Amino acid sequence: MLIKCPHCGTRPVEEFTFNGDASIQRPTSNDPKTMDQWFDYVYLRDNPKGRFEEYAHHSSGCRAWLVVARDTQTHEIFSVVTARDYAKKRVAS
Amino acid sequence: MSENIQRVSPLADIAIQGRFGADHGAPGVVLSVRHPVQIATVIARKGKAKALADALKNWRGATAQWAGAEQYFVLERPFDEVRRKLEGLASCSDQSHGRVIIRIEGPKVRQVLCKGTPVDLHESEFEIGKSALTQMAHVGVHLTRVGRDAFELSVFRGFSESFWEWLSEQAEEFGYQVI
Amino acid sequence: MTGFRLDKGGLVDRAAPLDFTFDGKAFTGFAGDTLASALIANDVHLMGRSFKYHRPRGVISAGSSEPNALVELREGARKEANTRATMIELYDGLVARSQNRWPSLEFDIGALNSLASAMFVAGFYYKTFMWPKSFWEKIYEPIIRKAAGLGAASKEADPDKYEKAYGHCDLLVVGSGPAGLMAALTAGRSGARVILADESSALGGSLLSENEEIGGMSGHAWAMATISELSAMPNVALMPRTTIFGWYDDNIFGAVERVNDHVLEPSPYEPRQRYWRITAKRAVMATGAEERPIVFGGNDVPGVMTASALRTYANRYGAAAGKSVVVFTNNNSGYRTARDMKAHGVHVEVIIDSRKEATGDAGGVPVIRGGAIVNVRGGKRVSGVELADHRMIPCDAVAMSGGWSPIVNLMCHRGAKPKWDERIAGFVPPDVGNAIAAAGSAAGKMLLSECLADGARAGTLKGKTPALPKCRDEAFAVTPLWWVKESTGKAFVDYQNDSTAKDLPLAAQEGYRDIELAKRYTTAGMATDQGKLGNVNAIAILAEATGRSMDQVGTTTFRPYYTPVSFGAIAGPFVGHHFQPVRKTPLHDWADELGAIFVETGLWMRSSWFPQEGEDWLASASREVLATRERVGLCDVSTLGKIDVQGKDAAEFLNRLYCNTFSTLDVGKARYGLMLREDGIVFDDGTTSRLAADHFLITTTTANAARVMSHMEFCHQAHWPDLDVQYVSVTEQWAQMAIAGPKTRATLQKIVDEVTLDDKSFPYLAAKEISILGGMTARLFRISFSGEHAYELAVPADYGNLVARSIMQAGEEFGIAPYGIEALSIMRIEKGHVAGGELNGTTTAGDLGLGKMMSSKKDYIGRMMAAREGLTDKNRQCVVGIRPFDTMDKIRSGSHILKKNDAPSMVADQGYISSVAWSPMLNMWLGLALLANGRERHGEVVKIFDGVRNIHMFGVICDPMHYDRENKKLHV
Repeated sequence: MLIKCPHCGTRPVEEFTFNGDASIQRPTSNDPKTMDQWFDYVYLRDNPKGRFEEYAHHSSGCRAWLVVARDTQTHEIFSVVTARDYAKKRVAS
Repeated sequence: MSENIQRVSPLADIAIQGRFGADHGAPGVVLSVRHPVQIATVIARKGKAKALADALKNWRGATAQWAGAEQYFVLERPFDEVRRKLEGLASCSDQSHGRVIIRIEGPKVRQVLCKGTPVDLHESEFEIGKSALTQMAHVGVHLTRVGRDAFELSVFRGFSESFWEWLSEQAEEFGYQVI
Repeated sequence: MTGFRLDKGGLVDRAAPLDFTFDGKAFTGFAGDTLASALIANDVHLMGRSFKYHRPRGVISAGSSEPNALVELREGARKEANTRATMIELYDGLVARSQNRWPSLEFDIGALNSLASAMFVAGFYYKTFMWPKSFWEKIYEPIIRKAAGLGAASKEADPDKYEKAYGHCDLLVVGSGPAGLMAALTAGRSGARVILADESSALGGSLLSENEEIGGMSGHAWAMATISELSAMPNVALMPRTTIFGWYDDNIFGAVERVNDHVLEPSPYEPRQRYWRITAKRAVMATGAEERPIVFGGNDVPGVMTASALRTYANRYGAAAGKSVVVFTNNNSGYRTARDMKAHGVHVEVIIDSRKEATGDAGGVPVIRGGAIVNVRGGKRVSGVELADHRMIPCDAVAMSGGWSPIVNLMCHRGAKPKWDERIAGFVPPDVGNAIAAAGSAAGKMLLSECLADGARAGTLKGKTPALPKCRDEAFAVTPLWWVKESTGKAFVDYQNDSTAKDLPLAAQEGYRDIELAKRYTTAGMATDQGKLGNVNAIAILAEATGRSMDQVGTTTFRPYYTPVSFGAIAGPFVGHHFQPVRKTPLHDWADELGAIFVETGLWMRSSWFPQEGEDWLASASREVLATRERVGLCDVSTLGKIDVQGKDAAEFLNRLYCNTFSTLDVGKARYGLMLREDGIVFDDGTTSRLAADHFLITTTTANAARVMSHMEFCHQAHWPDLDVQYVSVTEQWAQMAIAGPKTRATLQKIVDEVTLDDKSFPYLAAKEISILGGMTARLFRISFSGEHAYELAVPADYGNLVARSIMQAGEEFGIAPYGIEALSIMRIEKGHVAGGELNGTTTAGDLGLGKMMSSKKDYIGRMMAAREGLTDKNRQCVVGIRPFDTMDKIRSGSHILKKNDAPSMVADQGYISSVAWSPMLNMWLGLALLANGRERHGEVVKIFDGVRNIHMFGVICDPMHYDRENKKLHV
């Protein structure tokens, strides 16, 4: 499988380390009332068949964290963006 | 500092000069260690990526190699000068002792390197001056094309001996010279 | 013709004879032969025994699909089992042996199985060896293994080298027959980067073994001219002896190049094999088609082979498989064999064509239409055939052709299924998009002109398809005949696993109608050849038995590898000392000079202890502790992770990463820090120094250095991209040494320039850049892991050995000693400092006695989850000190702790000992432990239970700090 790193170009999947669902956002509040949100953030994960946005660290390359949108069934990759841009876009929307 | 305090390369006793491997006439590749060399990591401060890139482009006497997003290795200038010059533009860290640069050059250079890196180093895909961060033989390598058939491989100092052994073994079938 | 070597013809070099042995007997062949062709030329047809019935077997094919002629190649450490004689290139001095026979190939006791064959039907193993259950492992399995085993692997280490490599191209062409050559030529001429790979020793594919005519010359001459043009192109790489074994996501292909399998011993500088990973923008599967056997009685007797194999042995290798041939065919291939053999001067008795109304150029050989062979006579060699009408025809070779199966494997490796094509009676490749296309007979194109056209089309990456050379076509027509039901002898479907035609209907009858189930029940297709010859016949027989069409039954799943790949190639160069890279510290030479014993810590080699004459590790480490605590010691701590953190928001970044606060740290000072994971568990610890307002240097544990870096990158980029912070690992830039003990200050004072190392200018936790040895820039940190008055000194790595030697010299008058990580570990346990045993991924800051470090004034990673009930429960196991009750006793880490009067049980478990050391200061074994509600239990006598050694003893719980509880020594 090949992943097109926005910095390094196309590289094989072994250069990357994965860190799960990117669509989940770290809660910002430290209010004890938000504890449920924290439990969800730390422990609750879906395992979708189909489109999935996943954190990928280019650990054997430029060391950027990326978000790879791929199909878990066909292995088709729809897009690769930096985690930085992904986070900024999320804040903006 | 006293005259007899000299920098000692970790490959001082490893990269022995001579001709090794198969003998098919001229060596397939020539290996050498660039030492001593000055290396600084420079990383753009927030919002200064463009300004840093411009400053590096216009800096005669220094070699800047891409080393990740908004990040470069600046070679051949003393660290204090790098820090002064890029004040406000970049965070700088001295890596002169932390990395070892091995130069590999010759007609078989791509046939040796393709045994380690998945990066396509064909002339049409990888122009002179281009750098890539990759992994060869389980070691992180910063690779730069420095000539038609010449590349520099920069690795963490601690891995340099192990990496040299692996690299030179891959070159054996073509015959190699260490200078 | 002398013997079975033809007087002329073939591509072997008759001027280059090669000597070899098979089963100890000496033979001669020629350069260009395979082991199989050389044996045939020497009239050796018996090459092995079958797996189950131990039937005598010869070659069936002339290529990689060979199921029968598996031999042990080479001797000693280079011995290789189950190697196909049809793929072994002959070399001078080759040694091969047959397998699966005892005592000899000619007389094999195991052949008695054949007499009991009524027992050995499908599912035999499942049915017979079920009961009693206890018999399986001890009795049945070992006996079956011994009886059924193929070749034996060498037990010596492989002396040869293997390599890995990456390839890239615009077009990968798999197979170098007419379609492959045409594709490579077309793409090559257009300037594209082309790789042309073929599993055979020579490029040319079927053009090496068939009589064809292309462009006004022989097919072989055209192939040679084309290869010569290709080899002159710098953009084309030719890879003979290379099997493309698999097709993976994103058009990546796996390949094995057999660089030196065709020589006695590889040059010491060259690998035996090279494992390639090729990324191709486009690929052409020009893998050709496999000729199928027909399933009839005795179709496995040595001398029966496919019609095309007979042609290949004659046309390519100049060897005749017999002197009198009978052809049995359901398509044109048989006629071609008859003509070619006749042209070589070999007598062809008759063509038996199963089709009643077949036509074809028999070249004057008589044809029996609508006939079938029901049995082959002969044991170790064909002596004749019996027809359905009871006619008996003497012969010494049978050429069979059941039709052609396109070699579709690669294009099915990612899950797509091939489709049945009635016209050619074969499965053709699925449509899997533009990245890979089939061309030629692999695509079911059975005419030469179609193959050339297909290849040219597939090789046209841009522009118009070029004009094609003219060629002569051999007509093609087939009417399936799968199984001669009137067969009187055993009719084999899968030769290697001895599955017969009767096994498949039986499987269906017993409910195994699905092809995947039938495969496993009958073992048809499960041998090392993966059913390359037999699978389609098996599908057809199952289809008939269950009243379904070929498409309804379908194929089993195609998976890599196409042919077996050696473990050597898969491991590549990463064996022995290259298994993983070795990482050495900048002080390695210094430590080595002093006789250090090194230990692997991750990839690092760390100096563990420095034994003197007659000392074991414990004596050495104890002496090093005493030297350090009483005088001064020097330890290499370069492996600690060091990360430079800079930028306007550096302090804020650290505040968010660590549970304690760094924005309040003064410039020139160091502070201990604790990082949690997001789930509230402790992640890592280390000291952080502030070198300037916007510049910190953090240290991590050796083990977590890379993980901490990744964590920082993640937190910054994914959580807080707006922070103006930059960080980079500087671990390797600095040689770092700990200098500890009451004489440290006096020692260091001798090498530092200008600064006076008193408590005023360099107090506890000072962290400053200084100058040493007359102008060398260094960093000095007054921090202590040993509990002694101690410093850590960092110098640029190239100076490391020199500085360490200088310190040893400076400390000589005080009795300085080097100490390793064993002594370091003893001292930290004496002082109750936590390390790996306690930072074990289950402990909270509170458990470690560091709860007060957790700030309540800021958000940081892990803050919220650390406040969970379960992580703040007062009965959690927390760090305590532990000592044996009888100070002569030895406690061991891993031992469990129980209340004094409790017997060992899960319920009674109170915790366990996490770290243990012999303390030379206190003259006893002592340790740290994780104990439920431990802080309230100092002074309690507990039971210590070592379940591994079944040792019970008593221990006393105490404060973790066993030694110098007032920390007086820090400030000596």
